[in-house]
Amino acid sequence: MNDLNRWLLVPAILLPAAASAPAFAVQYLGIEQARGVLFPSANQFDSRSITLTEPMRSSIEAQSGMRVRNTTLKAWQARLNDKSLGWVILDEVYGKHEFITYAIAIGNDGTVKGVEILDYRETHGSEVQNPKWRVQFTGKKASDPLKLDEDIKNISGATLSCRHITDGIKRLLVTWEVALK
Amino acid sequence: MTASPVKPVSHQRARPLLGTLVEIAASGPGPEQVQHAIDSAFSVVETVHRLMSYHDPASDISRINRQPCHTPLSVDPHTWTVLHTAQLLSTASNGLFDVTIAPRLVKLGFLPSGKPAEGASYPGNWRHIGLLPEHRVVLSQPLQIDLSGIAKGYAVDQAIAALRQAGARTGHVNAGGDLRIFGTEAHTIHVRHPLEPTRLIPLLQLQDGAVATSAGYYNRRQHNGRDIMPIIHPDNGMACSSDRSVSVLAPSCMLADALTKVVHADSDAANHILPLFQAQALLLDGQQSNTPCRFIPAQPVPLPQREQNHA
Repeated sequence: MNDLNRWLLVPAILLPAAASAPAFAVQYLGIEQARGVLFPSANQFDSRSITLTEPMRSSIEAQSGMRVRNTTLKAWQARLNDKSLGWVILDEVYGKHEFITYAIAIGNDGTVKGVEILDYRETHGSEVQNPKWRVQFTGKKASDPLKLDEDIKNISGATLSCRHITDGIKRLLVTWEVALK
Repeated sequence: MTASPVKPVSHQRARPLLGTLVEIAASGPGPEQVQHAIDSAFSVVETVHRLMSYHDPASDISRINRQPCHTPLSVDPHTWTVLHTAQLLSTASNGLFDVTIAPRLVKLGFLPSGKPAEGASYPGNWRHIGLLPEHRVVLSQPLQIDLSGIAKGYAVDQAIAALRQAGARTGHVNAGGDLRIFGTEAHTIHVRHPLEPTRLIPLLQLQDGAVATSAGYYNRRQHNGRDIMPIIHPDNGMACSSDRSVSVLAPSCMLADALTKVVHADSDAANHILPLFQAQALLLDGQQSNTPCRFIPAQPVPLPQREQNHA
């Protein structure tokens, strides 16, 4: 038993702190796949990228209580032939150690129709705060090779609280009101 | 399997649900079948989320918490099943596991205040929850139920059942550390170092079973100069300190999830409680570097080869 206990701890002690590779990373969906999952009946997605003006930005920050970090957002209008089904907006949020890209579906009534995570990445260090570190993952497709620790797939132990995503959803709902409605 | 003409397809997706990220993966003969299986698994997780949320005023739990004493209330069979298992655990642990500690969590700042009437007192505990036939619930004392210590595990079990029912060959569901796997391959399960959460420690190999880990790394708070987590010891009403991680292996993820709280509250008592549920635990202590890891029970009980697929 004691040997087993010790063995279980050895990897933790020897694990080197990776310099820049994510400590843990999963790619779930590419944006095309995510759009299809969020609006399965759509047969067309019209790209309608959003550039927020300064007044729009202040308005979103005031109404949502959230800081707007990106003033350009990728968005698509989902259509079934000529009929608009709603919107998909691509967004990213980050905390102390984690960086998440996700897509939200918003119906024409301004309610959330679904949220899908595209990428989830963690790091040991403080790279998350560095925009250059984040940009290397933005817009990656599932097929793009990334140096990841392939062995780590299952973590029993909480991910970050999903508060950053909850905050992001609040911000995007107001963004929809201000910029897309 | 080798006779199969097509290579199995596997997909995994994640959504924010149950206050965490829920990851669902499955493999099967074709992409449409696999996506359908994952959709149906997410759908049942959403149902559990909707029924058992403490925050949503329309949930079964909020309805029970508002219900006057001695007036039975009909709830969804899912909610009743989770309450029933919670009662079994409370009985077996003599209240180490108790779903009625919500008011105490509100005071410590883990749950939002304001929803239960300000200044209201909730003298009741798990003994004052009555479970009646036809999925009815009756309270004999005012109390506040919060299922966040058990509902995630139940949602994982239900999602796994949905994947199997939809014909998935292999799959896993991970709801913020409450994890269950089925299939033909063993996977290494990692846990986070209790004091350094981005550091991952390989814990065990799992092919078909459930494991839940509970630690304070992402939800700890300072209270009276001590790092604490939202797990309350029933005898003294104190919050447990947050520098250890507890993983429990059990026949179902619901049991594994709930039993982590029992081990946190009293690891010595857990020695006698875990075998009743064919469960075992592994503790990682972030402070004690000389003996940082131990098993509970002291003699691990062999787990059944394969758990039954019903709740």
